[in-house]
Parts: sequence; C-alpha cells; structure tokens
Amino acid sequence: MNDGVIRDGWTFVWAAYGVTALILTGYATSVFLRYRSARQKSAPVKP
Amino acid sequence: MAQGKLPHYSVALGALLLLWGSSWGLFFAPAETYMGDVQRIMYVHVPTAWNGMLALTIAFFFAVVSLWKGGLGWDARLEGALEVGVVLCTLLCMQGAIWAKPTWGVWWDWDPRLTTTAVLVFAFGGILALRQFVDDPVKRATWSAVAAIIAFADVPIVYFSVRWWNSLHQLQSSPATVSRAFHWPLRINAFGILFLMSGLIALRARLAALRREDEVAPPLPVTVPHGASFAEGARS
Repeated sequence: MNDGVIRDGWTFVWAAYGVTALILTGYATSVFLRYRSARQKSAPVKP
Repeated sequence: MAQGKLPHYSVALGALLLLWGSSWGLFFAPAETYMGDVQRIMYVHVPTAWNGMLALTIAFFFAVVSLWKGGLGWDARLEGALEVGVVLCTLLCMQGAIWAKPTWGVWWDWDPRLTTTAVLVFAFGGILALRQFVDDPVKRATWSAVAAIIAFADVPIVYFSVRWWNSLHQLQSSPATVSRAFHWPLRINAFGILFLMSGLIALRARLAALRREDEVAPPLPVTVPHGASFAEGARS
C-alpha cells in the first residue's frame, strides 16, 4: 500500500455483498412468513 | 386493506435488479484507480444509504398524516416504513464498516457522519422496540408518530454532517464527480433497493394492519352445543 493503492480488497467486497444478501434475504423472508401467518390467522373460519 | 400482489411483484423486481446491478458491479465494472476492488462495495452501500433515508422520510410522512388524520391504517404504514428504514440503516452501517477497514484502517470511527447515522438507527429502532410495550393501539399510534417526527430531525443532520463538520467520510458524489463506468451498476442497484423497499414497506404495513384488526376485534362468543347447559359447554 506504499503507492496509496489498496490491493487485495476482494475479501472485503465479498463480505459486504454477503452481509447485504443475508440481511435483505433474511428480512424479506421474515416479512413474507409473518404476513402469511397473520393472513391465515385472520382468515374467516369455514362453517 | 387490499390483498393485491403488487408488493410481491415489487420485491421480486427489486431482487432481480439487485442481482443484475451487483453482477455488473462485481464482474464487469473496472476497479477504481486508488481504492481498487474495494470501491465495488459502493454499488450496494450508496443505494442502501439513499433508500434507507428515503424509507425514514416516508415514515416521517406517515407519522404526520397519522397525527393529522388519525386512524390505525396510517399507524400500520408508519410501522412498516420504520422497520424497513431501520433494517436498511443497520445494513448501511455494516457495509460502511467493512469498507472503512481497508480504506481508513479502522472498522468504526466516531466521526460526524457515522455517529449521526448510529443515532438514527438507535432512535428509530428504539421507537420500534418501545411500541411493543404500549397495549392501547390509539395511544401507541399517537406517541409513535410524535417520536418519529422528532427522530426525523436527525435525517437532514446525517445528510449535511459531511459539509458542516470535518469528517473522514467523503462529501456526496454526483454524476459529474463519478466516472461514467461506475454509473450503471449504481443506478440499477438504487432502483433494485427502491423496489425492494417499497414492496417490503407495503407488505409490512399489511401485516401491521392485520395485527391491529386482531387487537381491536371483539372477543369471539363462547359457543355452547344445542341442548347443553353453559357449564357443560365450558367443560367440553
């Protein structure tokens, strides 16, 4: 890094994209599952 | 509340755009002259920042309308925007820390931009947490809206912090200061997270509305079989 250029940054790049994918996928899945469960709970009971 | 599939399509479109933009940013965009490959983190970090701030601005709008018009529907929308905004801003801090280590040499620094963003996460996250402790839906809606309006004061402070104080964090970029080779992955991911955020806010608001219906619904009547006494019905 003596010339001011950052080298070998791929580990950090994969870490950032991995965290992004994990959090967005995990949160979206949690919202879908909670929404589905709430809809099933509030659905009118068939006679 | 409408049961349409539009939010589902919005989330799916957002995910596809994010895959496209991220692939472009990871494999086809050139490395930056000084930051090298680490600059590729910007293709997710910057769109997350824009949309996190936008989600909290939408929450502010819902809070104002909730106080103005009343009704638990606006409180459900406020809850949706608050939660999505907090998730995006938490993710923003994590991406920023991963970028900061190779460029600044530290994971975290108490510089104005980072500190005001952390305050934002704790302020809005605190509102979400404290909502769990208020049983009365009307009181919860009122004070959540007031608290969200007060907490929103930090959003412009986050934006202008890099101009008002000396900060490690760089100033806002514009198309004029960013090389054309970096524009498209940034824009595609910005729209990807925008569609994802919109769909998730709508779904989370529907979920909150369903829970509100359960909270305010009258208790179901006790059904007693025909010909049986109440005591027998209760035992069965």
